Amino acid sequence: MNGLLDNEYYCEPIGCKVKSVANGDSGLTLLFDAPISEKLARAIFELADRIKHRLGDSIEEVIPAYQSLTIFYSPLSDCPEKIGAIVAEFAEIKTCPGYDENNSSAAKQEVEYRVVEIPVCYAEPYAPDLKFVAERCRLPVEQIIKLHSEKDYLVHMLGFSPGFLYLGGLNSKLFCDRKKMPDTRVPAGSVGIGGEQTGVYPQASPGGWQIIGRTPSVIFDPLADDPFIAKPLDKVRFVPISEQKFIRLSGNGL
Amino acid sequence: MSIHVIKPGLQTSIQDLGRPGQMHNGIARSGAMDPVSMQIANWLVNNPANNPVIEVTLVGPTLQFETPLTIAISGADFDLYLNGDLVFNNQSMRVNAGDLLEFDRLNSGARAYIAIAADFKLTPVLNSFSTHLSAGFGGLNGRAFMTDDQIPLSAICKVPMRKLADKNQLTFSGSYLLRCVPSVESAWFSQAEHSFFYSQQYQVTPESNRMGIRLRGTRLTQTSTRQMVSSGLLTGSIQIPQSGLPIISSVDGQTIGGYPRIANVVSADQSILGQLKANDKIRFVKVNQKQAVKIIKKKQALLTSVLAERNNDAS
Repeated sequence: MNGLLDNEYYCEPIGCKVKSVANGDSGLTLLFDAPISEKLARAIFELADRIKHRLGDSIEEVIPAYQSLTIFYSPLSDCPEKIGAIVAEFAEIKTCPGYDENNSSAAKQEVEYRVVEIPVCYAEPYAPDLKFVAERCRLPVEQIIKLHSEKDYLVHMLGFSPGFLYLGGLNSKLFCDRKKMPDTRVPAGSVGIGGEQTGVYPQASPGGWQIIGRTPSVIFDPLADDPFIAKPLDKVRFVPISEQKFIRLSGNGL
Repeated sequence: MSIHVIKPGLQTSIQDLGRPGQMHNGIARSGAMDPVSMQIANWLVNNPANNPVIEVTLVGPTLQFETPLTIAISGADFDLYLNGDLVFNNQSMRVNAGDLLEFDRLNSGARAYIAIAADFKLTPVLNSFSTHLSAGFGGLNGRAFMTDDQIPLSAICKVPMRKLADKNQLTFSGSYLLRCVPSVESAWFSQAEHSFFYSQQYQVTPESNRMGIRLRGTRLTQTSTRQMVSSGLLTGSIQIPQSGLPIISSVDGQTIGGYPRIANVVSADQSILGQLKANDKIRFVKVNQKQAVKIIKKKQALLTSVLAERNNDAS
């Protein structure tokens, strides 16, 4: 069984090696040897869909990440063999709709995605670390806000904590180290920068990111029909709002 | 019809067998940290295996029943008193309206499960009654019990009395061997690092909880400088952070992680994680995938045979 798990494929549609490794006795992880990109994200989700579609209830969890895909199943199942066959088949297909960057511009336009607008108040009471980030990045505060809110971020995956969005595409001018001592309590909705990532804390929790704003939107509502504000492969746009609007939208202030 | 919480205990919460199929949304599976003891408790009161139960942690609660019920307690061994009289775990018992159940001294293990021949009148969230403590949803208002909570019940059943045969009773010695199979970053660790890891005796620290078991012992100095690629983090993963002291991921752990994993605890031994408490001793033993499958088969067959037994039934 070890032999089946430790396989390596060359994945044509992405143009990279994919390695399959054991993740305990009931899981395996596929590691994609390619840089983080939208193309890779789309390929990983295409493969995840194929595995879910073909194996159905015999798998327990399919967990995509930036450069990996983890599948969790019963240790008594024959899932590793079946997943191996699906990966081998996927590795040989030439292109997948929507992510072939080399293809014509017409093909690129076929990629449809949803843009989810997340209002963010960058005003001081909600942005305790904005000044620090501005000093660190040697940019005026207004420029930080502009750079942070002017582009759309790809949702690569959800993970870590319920509803947390892993976003790709932070402007490198905004890269900023995490705090050496994490805060014991970061309020829900806090928007932060941690290293090369930006994101929103769905729940109040301890955290080490530099907090540059806060959204009045609920990122994760377990009781809603759709508990998640966005799903993978959506794009997120941060829309700056005033303090007054924050209070109006959230129903309260600090 | 309800149960009145007189004293909440350290961390008492509603759990079932968990919330599967949500890890890709960042939602840990949660559920009873020792699902074997939890299923035995349910069997004792003739409940389906996945019926929600009350999980008790280290310091137990004091509960007052406001209606006659059949209940059973399994898992960690506490001194138990019903209206001041000693009562026993691993067998069902009848309680009357006004009866007071007290959890006193903890003798072994860490978590006990109270099963009740009734339904909790609570709303499942994302298909489970389990309480997700860090995100605050599920179970009773998404949190651990507090003084004066009322735990609402419905569909109370009269069920035959049952007792778990002595030979099937689990014991928690405080000293455990956890069997391990390779994980995603196992190959990052040198032969010497693996030998070191498997020769150590570790101790459980008090910082351990439902998210993870934190160990202390001699630090494992890692030589690999490879860049970690985040991937799905499953229960039982043994992560080695920069401190060199292992953290074993558990039922409420983060879904994508974290630090290099030297190994994963085999599925069959993961229920032990729920019974670990501060200062317990841990050793890790390496097995291969084939052996891991054999071990889980044997364990499942044993549990199935225990849960199928009906000959102790008596009214």
